[in-house]
Amino acid sequence: MTISPAITSPERRPPRLVGLLPWLFAVAVVGYAMVVGGYAATVVSFALIYAVFVTGLNLFMGFAAQVSFGQNAFAAIGGYGSAVLTATYGWSPLPAMVLGIAAALLAAAIVGFPALRLKGHYLAMGTLAIGLITYEITVEWQSVTQGYLGISGIPPFGIGPYEVTSDRGQLIMLALVVAACAFAAARIRRSRFGRALSAVAGSEEAATALGIDVSRYKLMAFLLSAGFAALAGSLFVHVVGYVSPEVFGLHMVIVTFTMLYVGGIGTVAGPLVGALIVSLLPETFRAFKDYQDLAYGAALILLLIYAPRGLASLFSPRGRS
Amino acid sequence: MADWSYIPQVLVSGLGIGCVYGLIGIGFCVIYNASGIVNFAQGAFVMLGGMITQVLFSRSGVPLPVAALIAIAAVAVLGVAIERVVVRPLWNRKATMFVMILATLAAQIVIERLTLIAVGDQPKTLPVFTDRPPLMIGSVAIGYQLIWIVGGSLAIVGLLAAFFSLTKTGKAMRACSINREAAALQGIPVSRMLALAFALSAALGAIAGILITPTQYTAFNVGVPFAISGFIAAIVGGFGRPFGAFLGGLLLGLLQALAIVGFGAGLKNVAALSVLLLFLFIRPSGILGAAK
Amino acid sequence: MSRLTLEGVTRRFGGLVAVDDVSFEVPTEGVTAVIGPNGAGKTTLFNLISGALPPSAGRIVFEGQDITGRPPAKIAAAGLVRTFQLVKLFEDLSVLDNVKVGCHLQGKAGLFAALLRPASARREEATVEARARDMLAFAGLSAFADEPASGLPYGRQRMLELARAMAAGPKLILLDEPAAGLNTEESAALARIIRRIADEGTSVLLIEHDMTLVMNTADRVVVVDFGRKIAQGTPAQVRANPAVIAAYLGTGKPAANDAATQEAAHG
Repeated sequence: MTISPAITSPERRPPRLVGLLPWLFAVAVVGYAMVVGGYAATVVSFALIYAVFVTGLNLFMGFAAQVSFGQNAFAAIGGYGSAVLTATYGWSPLPAMVLGIAAALLAAAIVGFPALRLKGHYLAMGTLAIGLITYEITVEWQSVTQGYLGISGIPPFGIGPYEVTSDRGQLIMLALVVAACAFAAARIRRSRFGRALSAVAGSEEAATALGIDVSRYKLMAFLLSAGFAALAGSLFVHVVGYVSPEVFGLHMVIVTFTMLYVGGIGTVAGPLVGALIVSLLPETFRAFKDYQDLAYGAALILLLIYAPRGLASLFSPRGRS
Repeated sequence: MADWSYIPQVLVSGLGIGCVYGLIGIGFCVIYNASGIVNFAQGAFVMLGGMITQVLFSRSGVPLPVAALIAIAAVAVLGVAIERVVVRPLWNRKATMFVMILATLAAQIVIERLTLIAVGDQPKTLPVFTDRPPLMIGSVAIGYQLIWIVGGSLAIVGLLAAFFSLTKTGKAMRACSINREAAALQGIPVSRMLALAFALSAALGAIAGILITPTQYTAFNVGVPFAISGFIAAIVGGFGRPFGAFLGGLLLGLLQALAIVGFGAGLKNVAALSVLLLFLFIRPSGILGAAK
Repeated sequence: MSRLTLEGVTRRFGGLVAVDDVSFEVPTEGVTAVIGPNGAGKTTLFNLISGALPPSAGRIVFEGQDITGRPPAKIAAAGLVRTFQLVKLFEDLSVLDNVKVGCHLQGKAGLFAALLRPASARREEATVEARARDMLAFAGLSAFADEPASGLPYGRQRMLELARAMAAGPKLILLDEPAAGLNTEESAALARIIRRIADEGTSVLLIEHDMTLVMNTADRVVVVDFGRKIAQGTPAQVRANPAVIAAYLGTGKPAANDAATQEAAHG
């Protein structure tokens, strides 16, 4: 998790120290888990997987200000792609992951094309439906997914003969992946591509008037976001070794939105910070498992009302309110 | 392949569930017309209608009609509470449509989880309102609960039509749906209309939940599927047209019943969601064309 | 030589004819203004030219190419860039980044260039940076480069929108009421900048209510009323044209002085 400070600042000028705080927090949490290992490492690993997903969600919803309640569909395709190819057909994880992500991108291109023409509540419900259809399919297509039973015996991630099996090994791998994702998001932010996304977010009409092909950029952001989601889904199944439909259900939608809003929508550090906070807090109340989604939902409502820019925006070097 | 000789029987049961979807769809439209908000917590009203009635009836021994009335009133109050606590602050801040949708979806989850904690995760059901053997028309059996559902729904639709066209409050709500600014200038209390819309919409959801529970079951998590079916009904009918939504619900109920025969019960949600996507992608204004 | 030619351009909304058989030419040199009373169809005309709306009939030719009915982004790419009556800035971006978005058509870096930053992308980014800073200097906004765009006072927001549009390197720039909401001083500064834009080779077509601005900057004026072109000529010719005076003041009234014309135009 060593990310150069320059990245956190969207402008080419010396970053203020507060811009570093979210990254220091993330490094501290991951470092702590690395030292303690065991259960703490597992919790932080899950948080990092979510961070990958939320980073992708943020590209689409934060950078380009679009709406999707259905990115869990692509996590499911990536996750089940990996699970089925490795556990059922004996592929090794890397090609299975690549194919899973490719399948998710294909699905995203097919549904994204008509879906992104929708607006407002039509877009919200349309994307929600895409997530729910995928969920239903993972439940019902039992010959492939084994329904509610799920698929177990998924091998851990590895390249060639080397497998990442230890808690710490997985933590290091995931931290590297998250760092790469955040790095990618930061680079996108400060590029012609990223500026075009911000332009689409600011005013589609003005972006068009400057020659930006709005629907093309929306689709690109959607595909990127789907790719991150599929990567997260695939990482999840290889880390846990098991997958069932519940993993990618409506719960995932609510949790990831909470993470996005806790961390700060539209910021580079927000998804990681949000994923860590939202994953760690319930662990302190672990005795009350039934209360978790309740807490997520209530926290989300409070954030939307009182801190719509999220917690990390308080540390944003841009100082946006 | 399925046995198509049941078709009439299947269509009859599809009609029943379709009425329920229609009522939920009307609930979406009532709030949308008053405020431009799509309330994704609509399913919570449906679930709670059945659930509160069930708890009062079987745990506390309250007679069924009384339990149902209490449940409807309680859910209507909850609707107003959601409007005050969740929607109003965002509305005042002029939050985007997306934030509003996300907040109401979160409210749905909160209510769901509270219900889970209060009553557990076991499915519960209610007795049928009239316990007599079904009427037979030819080979088609028509249960008394179905008659309750269809009759009740039609009565509600009739009452709503009268409310919107005859009463002062109903006319004021319609004025809000046509032009909120103009309505406000005419002295219509737009914000009170919003609370009223939530109460009305919640009551409609509760009634739908109470009517359907005897033929199915209720559990803490039945809300979202019902909400989605209701939303589909509203889309098919042309969003913002209450009576279009009712027709849309009937159509969806019939289609879903046929899908169960054709593809098996497991894929009924996939079929309904596919209808939704089809409409969204090809004709988002619905069969009748969207209001406004 | 003409930059833009409108031939019989018409736009109907149901039974209403918002733009009715309008033809005129915008020459390569100088500033052309479209004036007319409120509701005369000026903004609709702009939306037709910029491609935001397709015309119901007629032809729009830009630089010898027929652009009728082309999507707006394609029209912008051909070198015809517009600004908006209500300023539409990208509020999440800094002032400098807003202008960099304006340079979008000048570059071609895509997603992979963003992620891998090859030498070509770095060079392109450096060019964009320099160009954007030039544009800011041109519009007198250099001191605000790193401020968030939403924090600028209104007059400077207008200037920023102009700088952003110029960054796209247009051959013809359409300005939709650029002086709306500006005070006299800001309006005079704007007039100077518009003149400079025209003198440096970009054709300017503007819609304006501020008659002082039109009379000070425009070389040619096209007058529309009820969707029809009723007059065209130099500012002096148009000002003396009885049909124009009638359109602004209503028929049957005697010819009015400048002040009255100006007041009516504001009303």
